[in-house]
Amino acid sequence: MDPLTAAAERALVERCRAGDEHAFQELVDRHKNLVFALIARTVQDRSRAEDLAQDVFLRVHRGLPYFRGEARLSTWIYRIVANVCLQDHGKPVASESLDDDRRSHPGPGTTDRQFGDLELRDRLEKAIARLPANYRLVIAAHYLQGMRYEDLAEALDLPLGTVKVQLHRAKQQLRRLLETELK
Amino acid sequence: MYCDEALDAVEAVAAGEMTPDGRLADHYATCPNCAAALGDARALDRMLQSRPVPKPSAQFTARAMTRVRRARWRSDQVLDVGFNVAIAAVVISIVAAVWTLIRRSGMTAVSNDAVDVMTSGLVTLVHRIGPSLPLYGAATALLATALAVWWWAERDAAL
Repeated sequence: MDPLTAAAERALVERCRAGDEHAFQELVDRHKNLVFALIARTVQDRSRAEDLAQDVFLRVHRGLPYFRGEARLSTWIYRIVANVCLQDHGKPVASESLDDDRRSHPGPGTTDRQFGDLELRDRLEKAIARLPANYRLVIAAHYLQGMRYEDLAEALDLPLGTVKVQLHRAKQQLRRLLETELK
Repeated sequence: MYCDEALDAVEAVAAGEMTPDGRLADHYATCPNCAAALGDARALDRMLQSRPVPKPSAQFTARAMTRVRRARWRSDQVLDVGFNVAIAAVVISIVAAVWTLIRRSGMTAVSNDAVDVMTSGLVTLVHRIGPSLPLYGAATALLATALAVWWWAERDAAL
């Protein structure tokens, strides 16, 4: 789908407000990939992510009459995504150890590189799951195609610099968690 | 140049957001710890960039729309019930007010002594209820308005 111009976006919002179901369906279709990807990367449970992404669109539907159009629609939707993610996952998932799979798989030195990469990726996901929710969100958003840094700062209602600092700290923490794996 | 300073800049350098100047570049070139940290940060950055992008299921839009419709229906139901309760309360209040007015204006006495009223003539009746006529009129108008709004809302919901 081609991105909408500001005027077309306003028109779409107006149609949604007027109760046009097709317009709202178009809105969902336009934003679902980014919303779902952002949430799925933050919560790391597909069915939960799907549920939360639907919650986001439910909130969008309820909130549209109050959307003043001061920010772009996508920024406003990101703000809802951020609220949903932070409310639902305020605590990091700390129960799972990064070494949980180590016993069941041979180490990277004894397997081919592809398998080692897969294992590393798995450990990365587990390490991300152990980060605080706000760090998970900035990591998820920053490395997601189509999500601009500025949009994230506006969505989180934080200065750009603060978002960057949070991202750097999140990566620092991740690096510490993975330190031994990357060497 | 201290390692702390170099390590603080590792993430920004690895992400390409900062180009190390001469001193910083020299430090990364000569300090094995900081060079390793920069290497790790770059590797992490690459891994994060290559994370797969999860896609929603094919039924996502349909499911989201179903939830939206269900929520809207529930909200309409609540609004409808609330409106009907409000109208019922208004009607009951109006009926109670009219009944009180009738009692205070002595109309009940009139009905109990109808034969006397009939005999004393229509003029006496008019004299008795005359001062309260605007109140009766207002109450009737209020009742009619409430019923009209109720009818309008029900017709609007049926469309």
